[in-house]
Amino acid sequence: MSTTNTGDARELAVDFHGDEPLISGDMSFHDITELVSGHTEKRTPLGWLAAFAVANIGLLILVTSIAYLFWNGTGVWGLNNPVGWGFAIVNFVFWVGIGHAGTLISAILFLFRQQWRTAINRSAEAMTIFAVICALVFPGIHVGRVWAAYWMLPIPNQMEMWPQFKSPLLWDVFAVSVYFTVSLVFWYVGMIPDLATLRDRATKGLRQKVLGFFSMGWTGANRHWRNYEKAYLLLAALATPLVLSVHSVVSFDFAVSVVPGWHTTIFPPYFVAGAIFSGFAMVVTLLVIARRIYKIENIITIGHLEKMNIIILLTGTMVGFAYITEFFMAWYSGVEYEQYAFLNRATGPYAWAYWTMMSCNLLFPQFFWIKKLRRSIPFMFVASIIVNIGMWFERFVITVTSLHRDYLPSSWDYYSPTIIDVLTLIGSFGLFFTLFLLFLRFLPMVAMAEIKAVKPEADPHFYDHSGDGQASGTPSLTSSHSE
Amino acid sequence: MIELPVITKPESDSGSPHKRFWRSLRDLERDPEFIRSAKTEFLPGASDAPGESSRRQFVQLMAASMAMVSLSACRKPVEKILPYTRKPEEIVPGNALHYATSMPDRGVVSGLLVESREGRPVKIEGNPQHPYNQGSSGVFEQASILNLYDPDRSQQVLRDGTTSTWADFVAAARQLGSSNRTLAVVSEPVSSPTLAGLRSQLSQNFGTVLWSEYDPTLAGRQEAGYSSAFGTRVRPRFRFSQATTIVSFDADFLAPTSFGFIENTREYAASRRITEPTDSVSRLYAIESDYSITGGMADNRLGLRSGEIASFAAAVASLVGVAGAGRAGLAFVDHPFAKAIADELQQSGRNSVCVAGASQPELVHTLCAAINDQLGAIGTTVELLNTSTVSQPNTSVEDVISRMRSGTVDVLLVLGANPAYDIPSSFAEAMSSVATTIHCGSHVDETARLAGWHLPKSHYLEAWGDGRAYDGTLSVIQPLIAPLYDSHSDIEVLNVLANGTDLAGYDLVRQQWSNVISSNFEQRWKQVLHDGILPSTSFATVSASTGAINFAGLAANAVDDIEVVIRADSTVLDGSFANNAWLQETPDPVTKIVWDNVALLSQATADQLGVGGYVSKGKYYADLITIEANGSSVELPVWIVPGHADNSITLSLGYGRNISTTREQRRKVFFDTDQRTDVYGSGALANGVGKNVAVLRTGPAESIVRGVSVSRTGADYLLATTQDHGATEPDSVTIEKRDPVRMATVDEYRANPDFVVETEPLLPGGEDWDVYPELWSKSHPKEENAFKDNPYFQNQWAMSIDLNTCTGCNTCMVACQSENNIQVVGKDEVSRGREMHWIRMDRYFVSDGDLSDNPQMVVQPVPCMHCENAPCESVCPVAATVHSPDGTNQMIYNRCIGTRYCANNCPYKVRRFNFYNWTKTLPLSVHMAQNPDVTVRSRGVMEKCSYCIQRIRKANAVSNLENRTIEEGDVQTACQQACPAQAITFGDLTDPDSEINKVRSSSRRYEMLAPLNVKPRTSYLARINNPDPALAQSEA
Repeated sequence: MSTTNTGDARELAVDFHGDEPLISGDMSFHDITELVSGHTEKRTPLGWLAAFAVANIGLLILVTSIAYLFWNGTGVWGLNNPVGWGFAIVNFVFWVGIGHAGTLISAILFLFRQQWRTAINRSAEAMTIFAVICALVFPGIHVGRVWAAYWMLPIPNQMEMWPQFKSPLLWDVFAVSVYFTVSLVFWYVGMIPDLATLRDRATKGLRQKVLGFFSMGWTGANRHWRNYEKAYLLLAALATPLVLSVHSVVSFDFAVSVVPGWHTTIFPPYFVAGAIFSGFAMVVTLLVIARRIYKIENIITIGHLEKMNIIILLTGTMVGFAYITEFFMAWYSGVEYEQYAFLNRATGPYAWAYWTMMSCNLLFPQFFWIKKLRRSIPFMFVASIIVNIGMWFERFVITVTSLHRDYLPSSWDYYSPTIIDVLTLIGSFGLFFTLFLLFLRFLPMVAMAEIKAVKPEADPHFYDHSGDGQASGTPSLTSSHSE
Repeated sequence: MIELPVITKPESDSGSPHKRFWRSLRDLERDPEFIRSAKTEFLPGASDAPGESSRRQFVQLMAASMAMVSLSACRKPVEKILPYTRKPEEIVPGNALHYATSMPDRGVVSGLLVESREGRPVKIEGNPQHPYNQGSSGVFEQASILNLYDPDRSQQVLRDGTTSTWADFVAAARQLGSSNRTLAVVSEPVSSPTLAGLRSQLSQNFGTVLWSEYDPTLAGRQEAGYSSAFGTRVRPRFRFSQATTIVSFDADFLAPTSFGFIENTREYAASRRITEPTDSVSRLYAIESDYSITGGMADNRLGLRSGEIASFAAAVASLVGVAGAGRAGLAFVDHPFAKAIADELQQSGRNSVCVAGASQPELVHTLCAAINDQLGAIGTTVELLNTSTVSQPNTSVEDVISRMRSGTVDVLLVLGANPAYDIPSSFAEAMSSVATTIHCGSHVDETARLAGWHLPKSHYLEAWGDGRAYDGTLSVIQPLIAPLYDSHSDIEVLNVLANGTDLAGYDLVRQQWSNVISSNFEQRWKQVLHDGILPSTSFATVSASTGAINFAGLAANAVDDIEVVIRADSTVLDGSFANNAWLQETPDPVTKIVWDNVALLSQATADQLGVGGYVSKGKYYADLITIEANGSSVELPVWIVPGHADNSITLSLGYGRNISTTREQRRKVFFDTDQRTDVYGSGALANGVGKNVAVLRTGPAESIVRGVSVSRTGADYLLATTQDHGATEPDSVTIEKRDPVRMATVDEYRANPDFVVETEPLLPGGEDWDVYPELWSKSHPKEENAFKDNPYFQNQWAMSIDLNTCTGCNTCMVACQSENNIQVVGKDEVSRGREMHWIRMDRYFVSDGDLSDNPQMVVQPVPCMHCENAPCESVCPVAATVHSPDGTNQMIYNRCIGTRYCANNCPYKVRRFNFYNWTKTLPLSVHMAQNPDVTVRSRGVMEKCSYCIQRIRKANAVSNLENRTIEEGDVQTACQQACPAQAITFGDLTDPDSEINKVRSSSRRYEMLAPLNVKPRTSYLARINNPDPALAQSEA
């Protein structure tokens, strides 16, 4: 491509299709490759090492507290007789919820041709996978006899003893593991062209070999691209229902029970909305930092972040609406137990948790109606963290406040977490950040192949009319550019 | 035969002199050179005796080879058990044998049938042939099996604190007897004829024999009061079943701590059992200072200071016409309650009965006798048993103490009692003035440490003995196991002192009984052993009438200071059961507190003292107060009881024990939570639990302590309860809407027999909840042929609990704990809400309209409901809780992985989770108390009431072998069997004539949380109160 053409394209790209450009700055295809690949190829930065050390301490805390749990038993947590589920299930639902944004961004937004997704889909998907890994830790360790936890899997055995297929916990096992598998495959398939790029740039033998193995002989041939695109589309179609199903199934853990406060038909859509809400908030938290440190502000622009904030605003309002609907339904049902369960949430001993949840999830995102705040990096950083605190408390409120006072007042009790509960939660963040930092260090954090495709010059018709940058038949957009 | 490794008797360190054999003079002189050469004569190890070090080597080798074996085989090590080479005639491994025996308790015995497994007693039941028990038992009977296996029991004879032997004691005891010596005996109340016989022989050996008995719970006051009323030794036996009006003056006659508890409860329940609305119901008035079980059952209850109750009783007495009581009752003669009671008593006449409590002085008991006599109740509701044949102590313990102080006692024998703990103010100090002190007791306790000789006392399940039941029936105490330790029974000890001979208890008892059974001894003796009793030996009933008695001493104490009432504890009695883990974890029937004693007081008194408590993170912290009286003080947490009398503090005995134990302490590791969860942790179990309140009184006779000063210490104290768990008080409206306990008055019930159904909280819109589709409606296992073809399908089990007769005495809880190997978790874990009881006793207070300061108390035992449409079953991911063909909801422990989902989904919250491995820290001897029919659950599994499925299956097997169907009565659950009120009915729904079907057709029957449509198999019969209409009017 000639220098003049490129220059024109850059100029023209400013208003292509009338929108804010998806990629700002003067970035050529090569610049993008250099920028993204460079981060995996340079010497390990000291800052990364420091962050990795901190994350590893978190991971160590997780491992130690799990070892302590395994040695002694579930009693090391704060659980008791009415409250059989506490932090472990709260954390599980929280992390599964976080793990929603990635696949939503990559699959659903892909199907809907939302091209702005390309800047963030790789890291969001990575986040999804790591969040689901964090989530998967908890169902395994929360059972009383961890050494028998595999009985939840339908493994053929001589006793013909199968799991109990009516149990929502079993559906959970299937839903989350399928979601994890599909997300992982989807992420990996999407990464193959980029891995091939890294392979081609690699100079050292081992690096070449490893990347060569994982890029599966990718040459960029037309046939490869054709198969790849088809596979990606199919996987996207496969992943899309899973985005909705996984958290619906997680919500069945609660909705299928008889516990007042759990037994609610609104749960599946409400949980999915909540999951997207928290997932997007987590993406914002991570990318606000990552784009600055890795200097990819031109790829992940403020426009991308604003779009995510709009989704946070939308889903946050949906979640808030669900909270209010629950209250209305409890009143409208006329059932004492339901009414008390919700009254107790708002006014009982866990009112502090309830109002934390309400203010973080319903009230705080409303600031995003203001465009200025929506585009303010510091504000959105704080807001995204607050949203995730709120979403963690939402799961706490649902799990604990419903259980601690159910039908018979004689059995009512109070749940308070132990230090082990808290350390396990902290430790799960250690695991998450350990994985995420490894991802940032060793894998292309932006889908290079995909993001190049959303640049104007990637349009096959870009040069149709002697380099005017307009596809044939496209009506002229602005007179100032039809030079 | 399996060697049980638990009874490791420490080596006696006083070796008896023995002959020495020697090889040469050098050997005899112990020449060091010779010893060395002798030792090195053979290769190292070749001539070593199996001592400490070689045992270690052996274990090391074994461990190494075991490790290698497991490496090569990768299988769990198989422990070898050997069959009997010659099988004892009666023993079939796996089959239980039952033996009749009796438990002595404060001067009476309770007839028991004890289940023995391979020579090991495991479960106690009431003896159905025994006239007192009639198959029922009480809390203490049920728990006493654990006392046998108490790891802190005294295990060897001690002389001045160092190990000695029984032979040494016998030798020393032979030297004690002398005609110029005084022997003083301080004993727990005893009724054993053998003991009485030996007692009379003591005078052969000693110049003076002072025999005193005391009971810290003062249960004997009643008999003393009645005896002085009638001028002859009589014991009242109450026939509440004949009564229409029952008045309790501070008498908690329905509590397990009361004398004759089992019979009282059975009789009272009979007066309250209703099958038809037209059936008559007795009316119970309770006047008491604290809230008791009896107060909870009362139709009309008045909270009054214990010190004023005497005067109140005198007012009632004068109103019904007892002469000489008028002046004493002046203060209350116009009290509406007294008037109403008097009216009612006079109306009921001979069908009324007044009972006074142990806290009241003898004169009040005498007054009650006079009232009962005045009303003509003697002979109908009160039987007078002639106890003049029973040998009585010849002096009081106070007298013994003063003689000890003056140095006129040469030999002191403490038999079964623990006076240094019960009478801390004077006994310990007086003991030091006695030259020879002998203590015979089950533990190295407060008295044992001060005594020159301590002799371990055998548990009643390991020693021969005898006694008389409450009604006087001669009962035999038959051991089921040889003494676990070097212990002896009280009769064996007494025999040594009386005769200088070391005879076995068996011979002593037979000797005594050969006097009773004159003809055909061997055959009749066998029959006695089989039945546990000698029939028709109850005390004769006498008819007598009271003379003129001066009741002036009963006048109310005008001083309005705070009184302290000291009572027996509902779970550890006087401390003799304090080292029993089951009882420590049995909640108080009213407060639900475990592992502590507290100062009970009313809200007004608490406000006045400025004390209370607060809830923090689900735990309740109570303010500590210091109570000072008689120069001593005790620091206790306060607990506010609704309906408690103002200006009155109730304390319970039995805590603050200090027992020395020889049990080895477990090694503790910092990463192991055992140190928190091990109830047997450091030292004896009872040590450090609560405070001894006996320090406040001068002697055991002082039940109401006056002149106390109470102050707040400013500190607070964690209390653990099995209900509420420090949760803030639930809104009373909320409970009412849920209606777990349904009740009505007799009039309401007669007007509307179907009130329970009508008060069923309907769903909005009045829909019928029972037509809702069921979770299993399409594929319920019971619809499947495989299920129907199962032989178990022909029985469908169900339970019903009558809330009108259930008093909430906790016997079912302890019986269940014993039958089903339910583990004890300790105070800390209970405060976290992790208690394991399969049947719990819910307690609610009820008051009309606004918050009354005298609410009614209702109790409700809650076992598993065995829902036909069980919510727990559908949520278990591994099918570890399933329905059985005979309609019970079963827990499959070895399938359970512990997701706790079932517990979350149980609306009744009856499921219990093993948060830790509670059995890991159990001392080996406690393992022996476990029922071999029931799996001991591991850590991480859920458990719950199984309707005693092991008993059902045993009945299935038996009926199958006998080629018949299960009949009514073949299966009794442990709770049902133990219940003294017979409030629990259990049976087969498919048998049209079964008791359960009759009970279930009652109009009072309801199901808890019925609109959930879970179809519980356990249902309740609503409570019917019979309040006095006169009092209702006067209150209104």
